[in-house]
Order: sequence, then C-alpha cells, then structure tokens
Amino acid sequence: MIVFDAVRFSYNSREILKDISFSVGAGERIAFLGGSGEGKTTILKLIMGLIRPDSGRILIDGEDITCKTEAQLRDTRMKFSIVFQEGALFDSLNVKENVAFCLREYTKMPEEQIEEKVKELLRTVDVERAIDLMPEELSGGMHRRVAIARSLAATDPKMFLYDEPTSGLDPVNADNICKLILDLSRNGKGFIIVTHKVFDAVKVADRFMFLYDGRVRLDGNREDLLHATIPEIQIFLSELRYTQEEKNV
Amino acid sequence: MNAKALISDLQDYYLLSIQGILGALQRPFYGKDVIEQMDYAGAGSFFIIVLVSLFVGMALSLQLAAELSVLGLKMYTGKVVGISIIREIGPVAAALVFTGRVGSGMASELGSMVLGHQVDTLRVFGVDPVKKLVTPRMLSAFLMLPALTLIGDAASLLGGYYIAVFVSHQSGYVYWSSVREVLIFENVFSGSVKPFIFGFLISSISCYMGLSTKGGAIGLRSSTTRAVVASIIMIIVADFLLTRILLYVLGFSV
Repeated sequence: MIVFDAVRFSYNSREILKDISFSVGAGERIAFLGGSGEGKTTILKLIMGLIRPDSGRILIDGEDITCKTEAQLRDTRMKFSIVFQEGALFDSLNVKENVAFCLREYTKMPEEQIEEKVKELLRTVDVERAIDLMPEELSGGMHRRVAIARSLAATDPKMFLYDEPTSGLDPVNADNICKLILDLSRNGKGFIIVTHKVFDAVKVADRFMFLYDGRVRLDGNREDLLHATIPEIQIFLSELRYTQEEKNV
Repeated sequence: MNAKALISDLQDYYLLSIQGILGALQRPFYGKDVIEQMDYAGAGSFFIIVLVSLFVGMALSLQLAAELSVLGLKMYTGKVVGISIIREIGPVAAALVFTGRVGSGMASELGSMVLGHQVDTLRVFGVDPVKKLVTPRMLSAFLMLPALTLIGDAASLLGGYYIAVFVSHQSGYVYWSSVREVLIFENVFSGSVKPFIFGFLISSISCYMGLSTKGGAIGLRSSTTRAVVASIIMIIVADFLLTRILLYVLGFSV
C-alpha cells in the first residue's frame, strides 16, 4: 500500500531522512521507533503529502504522490486517518463541533443526524460525556480519543496513522489508547504508529522500524527488536527491561 | 536573510494574497467564519479605536489651538483638525491600532494553529486552509477597518471639539462649521480609500506571517513581531504613496 523509494528530506539544510526505502502492506501493524528529531513524524507527513521529499518516490497504492497537487492529494489522504500528536483539535470548537467538522463540510446531513453520528463516534472512543466540552477542558487521553473520533468521521480509512498517541499520558490512559488502537484495527485495517515509547509500541505493533541518523536501522518483528544488538536500540529497550524488572519485583 | 529567501518569501506572500482574494469568489463560502472574524476585528476593536482616536483628536486640537492663537487664527482650528483627521491621521491611527490588536492576533492565532498541526488537519480533511482561514480574515479586515476609521474620525473630531470649546474657549458653532466645510468629496474620498488598502495589507501580511510560523514558542513570537513590524512599515509607506496618488488624481496642487 505504501512504498518509500530512496526518499530524502531536509529541513533548514539539516538532512532528516537519508535515502529511506521501505514498503508497507495493507493491514500491517507497524511502529516507527526513534528519538526526537529522527524523522518519525516527517514520515507520516510525507505519507499524507503534507510535505514533499527532496528526492525519491512515495507510492500510495501504486501512485506516486510526490508530484500531485493539493487537490489531487485529497483522494489519497482519504485512504488514511491521521491523529496528530496531542490531537490537534480545533481550539475554537467544542468536542461536538470538532467531530462534526467533516460531516458539516462534506455531507448534507440534517442536524439531528449529525448529532446522532457524533454521539455514536464518541461512544466508540468512550468519551461521549465530553460532548459539550472545549478542547482545553479535556485531559490528554480524552484529547487523543476525540481526535480519533474526528478522524473516523472524516473518512472510512484503509489505514490509521498515529503520531505519538501515548506521549504525555499516564500509564492507565496510555494503555487505554493502545487498546483503542487495537480495537480499531480489528477488521483488518492496518496502522502506523510513531512513538518513542517502546513499551507501548510492543503492545500494539507486529513490525518495528527503528530510525536513527536519518536511516532505518532495524526493520523486523518483535523478536528482531528485542534481540537487536544495535546500541541505540539497546538504550530504547532498557525502558522495556526496567518495566519488566519492576513487574518481577 | 539572503536575497533568494527574501524573493521566495515575497513570492509566497503574493501568492497567498491572491489566493486569499480569489477565495472570496469561489465556493465554498465560509460566511460564519467571516461573521466571527468581523465580530472579533470590528466590534472587538471598537472601544480601543474610539479611545485612541479621541485622544489623538484632543492632542491635535491642543497643538493647533496653541499655535494658531499666536497668529490670531484660532478660528481655523476646526478646519485644520478636520482635514488632518479625515485625510491623514484618522486612517493611519486606526490602521496602527488595528495592527496592534487584530494583526498580531491573526498572526499568533494562525501561528499557533500551524504549530498545533491544526492547519495540517484541515489539509488532511481536504479543506483549503487559505479559504477557511485567510479569506475570512482578509474580508473582515477589508470591511471593518473602513468602518472603524469612520468611527475613529468622528471620535477624533469630538475630541478636537472638546479642546477647542472648553480649553481654547472657541465657539462650538464655528468649530463644527469649519469641520463641515472640509467634508467635501475630495477629502472624504481621500480618507475613505486608505483604510480598505490598509485592511488588506494588515490582514494579508499577518496571515502570511502566521502561516509561515516555524519553531515553537520562539518562532511564534518572531512571526507575531514580524507581522506587526511589517504591517506598520507597509501602512506608513502605503500611506505616503496613496497620498501622492490621491492628491494627483483629485487635482490638488502641491
């Protein structure tokens, strides 16, 4: 479904991605791991066509999106549902208006039907009680849930893209978000999650890619990740071992 | 900033301005957003514009009355205050206040939306951010600044009246007669054209600076500052150019 072919991307003359190539099939559950500034979010933005690579090709269902116009990208974007870091809810709209945004924009649904649909979506992500709250009144976990509900209202995606969905959340909320991510992928819909929290990544993903110094240093399954000898990955895995040791104690 | 970056920025600015204008002519129309922005820019700025204009009129009247009384020409205070306010100071003062309140607000709001990925979210949903965010702000500034300038002019003239009558002890009738004398087409037209141009400049510059925000809180501070500074400079430069053109077009000899 997604192919990155020798993709390079720089920001302010700093090369973030150096010749990245990989492919992702429909239904795959992938986690991109890596430190801050390693280009994890950049990969999601490249998939959505929000930024263009300096060189290389990005194929979505066989079509190169790097030369598409903003209008042509609309159909490509509809194949995905992206949830940005911290939700990116519209500050000026309450939860109901945020979730109803796309329904109002693209459908001619009557107001009662929109309200029903919004309630149904909020029920799916278990935040129905927050329907009248403003984004600043929501907790971090509720923010992400509302953002997921809003993205579901926008489209019936083939794949979900999550940008640091559990960052800044307490373990209980992080675990709930992981469960929600797994629930939404039950009917064969894949997802890409970018995170630096390896503990959450191993809960949800089957395939792991580790980014370091602008390159994919590891692309493998859970066993490959856990037995990787690369020092940078070892540092990341120490979080996992620490959590495991705590459990044993 | 190097020349290449400057040219690239200018090109992006022109493009955004044109797209912002075209957004008002093409579907979908975001009427609700325009009304909201008009409320923020217009009703929200009403009090501060009236207050600033009132004191500008009072200060101007005070200065002129002091100078003209030496020459024995105090009765011309209303006329000079009227011309200065209507043709020049009123539009510029209102535009500068508008920049400080509305322009900075536009830049910081859009900048914060960029940093919070809200603009990216709009693009993901297939909504054109220029149409949704820039066009309503440009329209609101284009329509509200002239209205605010008119109100500001009235407040300034009232301030001038207060000083002329209660401080300089002139006749109120003479003051208003002098003001009425200068309310001719040339003067009113000259003062009415400027706010439309200023409104366009403030909103387009502020939206551009806001949407080009990069780099967190410091980037937001920088884009807001740049929006205000660039708008103020452009208002002053545009005011000079417009004055020159209008004087020529309206047949005033310099």
